[in-house]
Amino acid sequence: MAAMRARQKIRAPRRGLNAAQNDNYDSLWGILSSSLTEIHTKNASTLSFEELYRNAYRIVLMTRGPELYENVKRQEENWLRGTVQKRITDSISSTLVRAQAATEIQDQSEERRAAGEKFLSAFKEAWEDHQLCMSMITDVLMYMDRIISQDKSKPSIYVVAMALFRDYVLRAPIRADSPTSVADILESTVLFMISLERAGHIIERPLARHCISMLEGLYESEAEEGEKLYISTFEPAFLKTSKEFYQAEGRRLLEIGDSTTFCRISSQRIVEEQERCLSTLALMTEPKILEVLDNELIRKNIDEVVKLEGTGVKHMLDHNLLEGLRNIYQLNARVDPKKESLARAVNKQIVELGKEINASSVVIPQTATVTATATREAKEASTEKKEKGKEKPVNQQTVLAIQWVDDILALKRQFDIVWEQSFLSDQGLQSSIMGSFSDFINLNPRSSEYLSLFFDENLKKGIKGKTESEVDALLDNGITLLRYIKDKDLFETYYKKHLSRRLLMKRSASTDAERQMISKMKMEVGNQFTTRIEAMFKDMTVSEDLTAGYKSHIARSADPDRKPVDLEINVLTSTMWPMEIMANTKEGVVQLPCIFPREIEGLKQSFEKFYLDKHSGRKLSWQAGMGTADIRMTFKRSNGKVQRHELNVSTYMMVILLLFNDFPDDESLSFEEIEERTRIPKHDLIRNLQSLSLVSKTRILKKAPMSKEVKPTDRFSFNHEFQSSFVKVRIGVVAGAKVEDQEQRKDTEKKQAEERGGSIEAAIVRIMKQRKKLTHSQLMTETLTQLSTRFVPDVAMVKKRIESLIDREYMERLSEEPPTYGYVA
Amino acid sequence: MANNTTSDFVTLVSSDGFEFVISRSAACVSGTIRRMLDPASKFSEALTGRCNLETLSGVVLEKVCEYFLYNEKHKDQTNVPDMDVPPELCLELLMAADYLDT
Repeated sequence: MAAMRARQKIRAPRRGLNAAQNDNYDSLWGILSSSLTEIHTKNASTLSFEELYRNAYRIVLMTRGPELYENVKRQEENWLRGTVQKRITDSISSTLVRAQAATEIQDQSEERRAAGEKFLSAFKEAWEDHQLCMSMITDVLMYMDRIISQDKSKPSIYVVAMALFRDYVLRAPIRADSPTSVADILESTVLFMISLERAGHIIERPLARHCISMLEGLYESEAEEGEKLYISTFEPAFLKTSKEFYQAEGRRLLEIGDSTTFCRISSQRIVEEQERCLSTLALMTEPKILEVLDNELIRKNIDEVVKLEGTGVKHMLDHNLLEGLRNIYQLNARVDPKKESLARAVNKQIVELGKEINASSVVIPQTATVTATATREAKEASTEKKEKGKEKPVNQQTVLAIQWVDDILALKRQFDIVWEQSFLSDQGLQSSIMGSFSDFINLNPRSSEYLSLFFDENLKKGIKGKTESEVDALLDNGITLLRYIKDKDLFETYYKKHLSRRLLMKRSASTDAERQMISKMKMEVGNQFTTRIEAMFKDMTVSEDLTAGYKSHIARSADPDRKPVDLEINVLTSTMWPMEIMANTKEGVVQLPCIFPREIEGLKQSFEKFYLDKHSGRKLSWQAGMGTADIRMTFKRSNGKVQRHELNVSTYMMVILLLFNDFPDDESLSFEEIEERTRIPKHDLIRNLQSLSLVSKTRILKKAPMSKEVKPTDRFSFNHEFQSSFVKVRIGVVAGAKVEDQEQRKDTEKKQAEERGGSIEAAIVRIMKQRKKLTHSQLMTETLTQLSTRFVPDVAMVKKRIESLIDREYMERLSEEPPTYGYVA
Repeated sequence: MANNTTSDFVTLVSSDGFEFVISRSAACVSGTIRRMLDPASKFSEALTGRCNLETLSGVVLEKVCEYFLYNEKHKDQTNVPDMDVPPELCLELLMAADYLDT
């Protein structure tokens, strides 16, 4: 039923309305066409949209839409060609045409500017009109667009009209038969405006912006797919002129020759260009123009700027111009993530300053305060000093060593500040700065020794009266330098040597600080490095217990007849302690142990018995060289008075002095006799005799003849006229912390080389055991990496060790080409 | 009536002289009317706020206006009630929709 009723009621729409009147295409088009002109001449208010729309609608319904499309297109073309084009070309004054060729900005810039602005505003107006009219026309023809554009894949009438504008206005020659088009003029005018702005003038940005947005709105080809005109024509031209501009700018700034100005202007330019892209040009140009700027202005010139004499990085570092450095850093960072040129300059400066510090540690400045006291020693045999024929106080060298470390620390602090504030804590620069520190520190062959001396000095007296945090900072500083030192094993050797002196002679100011130091080193260079140092501390504590144990042992089995002699003993594990102390061989000759006086010999045997009862199977070897003794001496004055003094002397001195107990007072002993009776090593004997007989304050022995050198033929006798205002007198031997002289140094180096040889062999065997088979080059690299934490091995040395291991059949040669080794189990 | 371009109401006139006063926003549901009233293009309709729709009869235009309001009311909603369309008008309404770009 329902369907029936529906069928009855549906009527065909009355077509009469559509076809009734005005269905003549030509008359309909006539109305439309005149209306379009009205729209273009801005008389739209008299028109009825509905009427126009209806007309267009009808035409399309008459299936004559394509015809309409073509007609509208033709009419637009005529309009643009006839009216708009003429309007635009008229606005181009001859100044603009001429200026198009000229590149110089200054030429009639005012005139050109006025002409340019006139042209641009005319152009802008034409473009805006066209846009508005076309949007109106498109609205009217909406129905046509809807049907035609989609059905037949033609661009909408609006797009077509825009393309027409491009073809008949933008690309029109400015004069008949002139090769220059309006677009060229437009381009050059806008570029001219920009160059004016770069030169500091104020331009009408909205005008330029407008033209640019027009270019952005237009496409290269018919369909809206190709490149936009802005990208295809204007942008390249803009980048090209910018490039030229910045090349010139770079040259100009370099000629000024002031790096601060360079940085300031460059940063300013960067901001300017960013702003320009935002307000005048298109955002997408920003990265491109900045790249041009980076390339032309910064990358090509940064090297020069960094190196500029008098104002470059060197100057800034010298005068601590953090601001300037930061600018340079930022510019350099723009063009080079590694900031190479800056890093190079900084490194050069560091190494230079470092070399100065190195040099000053060798040459003794005249102003250096002489802190040398009683102990003197022949100076390192540098020719300069020989010429002067004087013995330089050794302590001065020590002072210099510490000065060296302090200088480096100061330098490091300075660069840390620069790094933090100017280089924004840049990772890459940090490592490069560290690298250069390491470079010049390792240039000084004595860096390890100096650094160890620095610690020695500070741990001995430096930290007295300082708070914990100050000590901490001080040690941290030292550790930082340790990081730079490549030959860490050498440092370890020196450190152990100095530490052993501190421990045995009880010169260390604070055990806490020592322990702190060790834990810091452990963190810095690893466990292996500190095990031996720790073992030294352990020996010390064990020895304390031992001494206490021995005392109670003696107290129990006290022999009332004997005068008790207090013994404080340090039992040291021979492999852990520095070799100089333990060694009783020198240059292959076995040094017989020192002969102790009777009293001491008894004590010695009693302790040996006590010790060996506790730990059977061990061997004690006595090292008199490191000990001290307190002895009470009686001086009989010639006037019959008796004067007593308590002397704190080294063990060797005690042995020497006790010799004189056995002789009448006026008897004298020759050097050789003393040597024979005591078997003190010659070297030590000379030093001890020097202290006893040459230094005026502690002259306990008389020497004949009186001369500064101790010769084998010299004779010594007891000096009863010894005077001192104190009851207790301390007689020092050559004190601990000294820079080594040439001979000692050679010695240390030799021992170092031996030890390194051992380390190298151990490393090789470890590697081979694990790998079984390796080529030569692989073995070399692995060995070098393994050892690099401790020292930088000499390649030749490694080769020699490999040879030696092969000889001893730890390894075998498997093939020659490429050289391969195998592990022999 | 309303000759102010910024007025909130516009007048739609059918071919047989019926006038419908309707809110501007509702009228602009139609693409054609929206363009017609666009203040940027200075057509007479935009200036007077009065649209003579020669192609539509009063009956159809009434239904069209009803649809405009219906559309505006249920904009951006789901599950809206169907609008009642009398079958005898549906073809003419289809043509009107095409014309008005609705």
